[in-house]
Amino acid sequence: MSKSKAGLLQGTLDMLILKALSLGALHGYGVGQRIAQISDDTLKIEEGSLYPGLYRLERRGWVESEWDVSDNNQRAKFYKLTRAGRKQLIIEEQNWERLAGATMKALRAS
Amino acid sequence: MSRIKATVQFLHAWRHPYEIAREVETELRFHVEMRTRANIEGGMRPDQAQLAARQSFGDFDRVKAKCCEISRTLPFDSTLLKMAMYITIAILAGAAALWAVNMPHHSFTGVLWQLVAIVVLARAFVVGRRAISTKQFAEDRASVFVTDVERFRKDKGLPSDVCEAHSVGIAAHDEQGRTPVERMFKSE
Repeated sequence: MSKSKAGLLQGTLDMLILKALSLGALHGYGVGQRIAQISDDTLKIEEGSLYPGLYRLERRGWVESEWDVSDNNQRAKFYKLTRAGRKQLIIEEQNWERLAGATMKALRAS
Repeated sequence: MSRIKATVQFLHAWRHPYEIAREVETELRFHVEMRTRANIEGGMRPDQAQLAARQSFGDFDRVKAKCCEISRTLPFDSTLLKMAMYITIAILAGAAALWAVNMPHHSFTGVLWQLVAIVVLARAFVVGRRAISTKQFAEDRASVFVTDVERFRKDKGLPSDVCEAHSVGIAAHDEQGRTPVERMFKSE
C-alpha cells in the first residue's frame, strides 16, 4: 500500500462546498457525500472540517440554512446556495481555471 | 438579504449561546448517525460502525466549539466597528475622568459612582472585545483527502489510515476574503 503523499491541492474547501450546494439543498452529511460523488470518489472531505466551512459560508451570506426533516424522518439542518453564493462560485471557478491553465502552461514549457 | 439574515443570526447566537450550542450538537450528531448507518449498510457491526463514524468525523468537541465560535462572530468586516468601539470607550473614559475630578473627593456617593463607571467601562471593553472577534476571517485550515481512486473504492466505508497519509491542507478565505488562488494572483 503506497503511502506517498498526495500533491498540494490548489483549491478551497469553500469552493467545493459551494459547488456541491449549487446542485441542490443538502444537509452537512449530504454535502460531503456529494463532493465525493461529483469527484468520482477522488476527493473526500475530512468530515469534521465540513461544518466550520459551512458556518463560515453562512456568515458570509453565500449559503443559508433551515431545519427540516431528512429522508429518514430525522431533524436535520439543510443548506442551500444564495444568489451571492452563486456569484461567488462563478468567481471561484474562474480563479481555479486561471490557476489550472497557468500551471499547465508552466508544466508544458520546454 | 442573506447578509441581513446572517446579522440576525449573529444577534440570536450572541443572545442565546446555549441554544446555538444545542443546535450545533444536534446537527453534528445527525452526521455521525448517518455515517454509522452507512457503515452498517456497508457490512460493519453496529459497535464497529459507530466507532468508525466517530473516528472519521474527527474531534467532535473541537468542531462543535469552532461552529459555535463562528456563529458568534460578526458577518461583516469588523474593523470600523472596532475602531468606533475604542473611540466610544476613550470618550467615555475621558468623560468619567473629568467627572471624577470635579466630584467632591470626600463624597461617598461620588466615589461609589466613580467605581460603578470604572466597572461598566471595563465590562463594556471585555464584552466588545469578545463580540468583535478578529478571528472571523482568520485563515482556517481544513483537510481534503486526495485518494487513489481504486484504493479508496476498495476501502470505502471502512476505517482506514489512508486519510492521514494522504491529507493535504487547503486554506479557506483569508482576512480580505481572498481564496488561496486569488492570493497567488495578488500582483494583478
